[in-house]
Amino acid sequence: MATRNRTTVYRKHRDACKSARAPLSLSASDSFGGPVIEMVSGSFSRSNHSSYAPLNSDDPGPSSDAFTIGMPPAWVDDSEEVTFNIQKVRDKMGELSKAHSKALMPTFGDNKGIQREVEMLIHDITDLLRNSEKRLQKLSTRGLSEESNLRKNVQRSLATDLQSLSMELRRKQSTYLKRLQQQKEGQDGIDLEFNMNGKMSRLDEEDELGGSGFDDYQTIKMKKGQHVSAEREREIQQVLGSVNDLAQIMKDLSALVIDQGTIVDRIDYNVQNVSTSVEEGFKQLQKAERTQREGPMVKCATILLILCFIMIVLLVLKNILL
Amino acid sequence: MVLVTSVRDYINRMLQDISGMKVLILDSETVSNVSIVYSQSELLQKEVFLVEMIDSISVSKESMSHLKAVYFIRPTSENIQKLRYQLAHPRFGEYHLFFSNLLKDTQIHILADSDEQEVVQQVQEYYADFVAGDPYHFTLNMASNHLYMIPAVVDPSGLQRFSDRVVDGIAAVFLALKRRPVIRYQRTSDTAKRIAQETAKLMYQHESALFDFRRTESSPLLLVIDRRDDPVTPLLNQWTYQAMVHELIGLQDNKVDLKAIGSLPKDQQVEVVLSSEQDAFFKSNMYENFGDIGMNIKRMVDDFQQVAKSNQNIQTVEDMARFVDNYPEYKKMQGNVSKHVTLVTEMSKLVEARKLMMVSQTEQDLACNGGQGAAYEAVTNLLNNESVSDIDRLRLVMLYALRYEKENPVQLMQLFNKLASRSPKYKPGLVQFLLKQAGVEKRTGDLFGNRDLLNIARNMARGLKGVENVYTQHQPLLFQTMESITRGRLRDVDYPFVGDHFQQGRPQEVVIFMVGGTTYEESRSVALQNATNSGIRFILGGSAVLNSKRFLKDLEEAQRISRSGSHMV
Repeated sequence: MATRNRTTVYRKHRDACKSARAPLSLSASDSFGGPVIEMVSGSFSRSNHSSYAPLNSDDPGPSSDAFTIGMPPAWVDDSEEVTFNIQKVRDKMGELSKAHSKALMPTFGDNKGIQREVEMLIHDITDLLRNSEKRLQKLSTRGLSEESNLRKNVQRSLATDLQSLSMELRRKQSTYLKRLQQQKEGQDGIDLEFNMNGKMSRLDEEDELGGSGFDDYQTIKMKKGQHVSAEREREIQQVLGSVNDLAQIMKDLSALVIDQGTIVDRIDYNVQNVSTSVEEGFKQLQKAERTQREGPMVKCATILLILCFIMIVLLVLKNILL
Repeated sequence: MVLVTSVRDYINRMLQDISGMKVLILDSETVSNVSIVYSQSELLQKEVFLVEMIDSISVSKESMSHLKAVYFIRPTSENIQKLRYQLAHPRFGEYHLFFSNLLKDTQIHILADSDEQEVVQQVQEYYADFVAGDPYHFTLNMASNHLYMIPAVVDPSGLQRFSDRVVDGIAAVFLALKRRPVIRYQRTSDTAKRIAQETAKLMYQHESALFDFRRTESSPLLLVIDRRDDPVTPLLNQWTYQAMVHELIGLQDNKVDLKAIGSLPKDQQVEVVLSSEQDAFFKSNMYENFGDIGMNIKRMVDDFQQVAKSNQNIQTVEDMARFVDNYPEYKKMQGNVSKHVTLVTEMSKLVEARKLMMVSQTEQDLACNGGQGAAYEAVTNLLNNESVSDIDRLRLVMLYALRYEKENPVQLMQLFNKLASRSPKYKPGLVQFLLKQAGVEKRTGDLFGNRDLLNIARNMARGLKGVENVYTQHQPLLFQTMESITRGRLRDVDYPFVGDHFQQGRPQEVVIFMVGGTTYEESRSVALQNATNSGIRFILGGSAVLNSKRFLKDLEEAQRISRSGSHMV
């Protein structure tokens, strides 16, 4: 597809117009070439800045309304925080995948360390997601200005990212859970001794079973069975707990996210709605201003002022005449 | 497909190099160009968090200097003036200007003059100056479409404006395709000839360097034809999904406004989107006829009910987890099903109320089969029928008049009188005006297949064989034109070349521009032709997308202007 760049032609015209204008403005400039040079340097430094950096303080600019790329408003901090969190979540999800695959590998020893790591990671990620969601809610605003529309759109975009991340997390967890269950079932009757060492912490259960007359082999097998089921249950509970958390987050987010392919996803529909609501808002503001201006309080105040003025005049007259 | 991709590529390029939060500013035409190919969620992904119209941007006074402004507008004089004001009182941190067509040097000078604070970072021309609704169909959405019917002497400036806009649109299409075509036009149409010649001048003289693309084996062909050569197609009632929705309800920029139908409950009075890109069901059904659509919708509803039932049956925790996983897709499916069911229900109601099955059968007979006597009988009966609406009566008489213009003028007069007595709303003479514009002398092509022997023989064979579906037997004239091009037999006498252009052999890419507007029946014909892989790719475009209401409105407007023009003269 063809395009044509007219920037150079435009800049040439602009510089020509500027130099045609500059000799005419003799105010507030020391040297003749001063304003031209300052403005040129101003434009250079501006183009190198990112959008959030304030303008250099050493650029005075002879014109009174020198244009600044100003500081963004406060709510942008919230949105930046959420973006940063999203990036952290993405990194942690990568770590989680690695931890999952390590945990699923058949081990010759203590599985607990890896599992604790997995738990911690999941816990961290869910916390980050919940925090981000709360911050995101803070971005909500009522009112019909352009600014509020901007905030709503930023909110929507971040909500979409958060939702996709939480869904990815849930999918990862459910596959992990499935594979864990498969693995545990496949381990029945194989290498009991290898697992014995890892189960030493369950001393109380061992004592219980040891005294009920089973022989060694059956005891070991039963303990192992109980162990496995208890542990599996614990993992399932933990995964389900995080599933619940995520479901809650998703429910809240789904209110913000746009359904793709529907009318709400059309740019022209959104633009028309904004324009009608901004118009409505404008009309409401005008009406409010009018009622305020003609309000009873204002009438009272005017009457009182007039009376005061009359009284003062009478007082002065009285003093003069007496 | 290629036009949709080009517009999307243009928009992607606009946004990708600019970092940070952006605001996209459009005008009333480019908003259609952009909305039809790009969704709001995609814009949000590109960090465009606000979309405004250039008209309303000056209303608010708040300065949002942390945003960068990306303008995508047409280079019209009104837009340049508005932009001038906005550059002199800038609200945003940076300004990136993209114009959808060629800028004049004077316009650049005006803008540069107002840019005292030097906020403009770039000025580019990105030629996405058309609405790419379907893969092989584009339109220019022109409001004053009727101007093509008015001779130059009556309203020269209006015709010039029309011609300029069309030439701009066609130039943008070829710049987006990066090709320079060989141009042919319909001999009998002055407007088509004028547009063809002005396009040739632009592409080969004024902006010859810009259009100087790598030449391929065979140049593409631009064929400029006139709506008046086939006035029958926009008058007919349609029975394939996309065309039917446009005919009965109205499809604008791939959106259907259900508020137009008064009979819906309040919560369903919304707009819905019918886009073949985003809706798989619509993509597979948009060219199917009404009966088949009904069956397919029923199948879709059954599938959906099964999914819904399995969702009701949640017993284990795993079921719950699966439900939450699949919920977004479920919601999307539900929305889609309800949209199509609503549309088909409403259209069925309209068909029933206006007795369109009966009316359409006569219409198709008038358009396709012979027999003047039987046709006269049928039209008279329908005119006498109370439940036939005024617009349908008008269409029937028009179709009859177009077909049997010269046969039996007495009966034709009788029909006119009957129409005037039954439908006082329509100004008398509209049918006559149509005949003056598009009568048998004015037409080039063989609209009713009764001019040359081959066509008559073909029609007789078809009559003997019988048709599959009485309601969709009509083939637009465009189909014959495309066949002629495919066979390399488009007659030079009827469709001459501009200037000294010449084409050896068959072109591989053909853009047909219909001055006065296209219809969805014709776009369907083009899509089906492209699907046959004949080695030629056809793209169809027009100044608007017509249905019978719009075509009649254009006729009325043109008639009004001609009348007032002739009074002045």
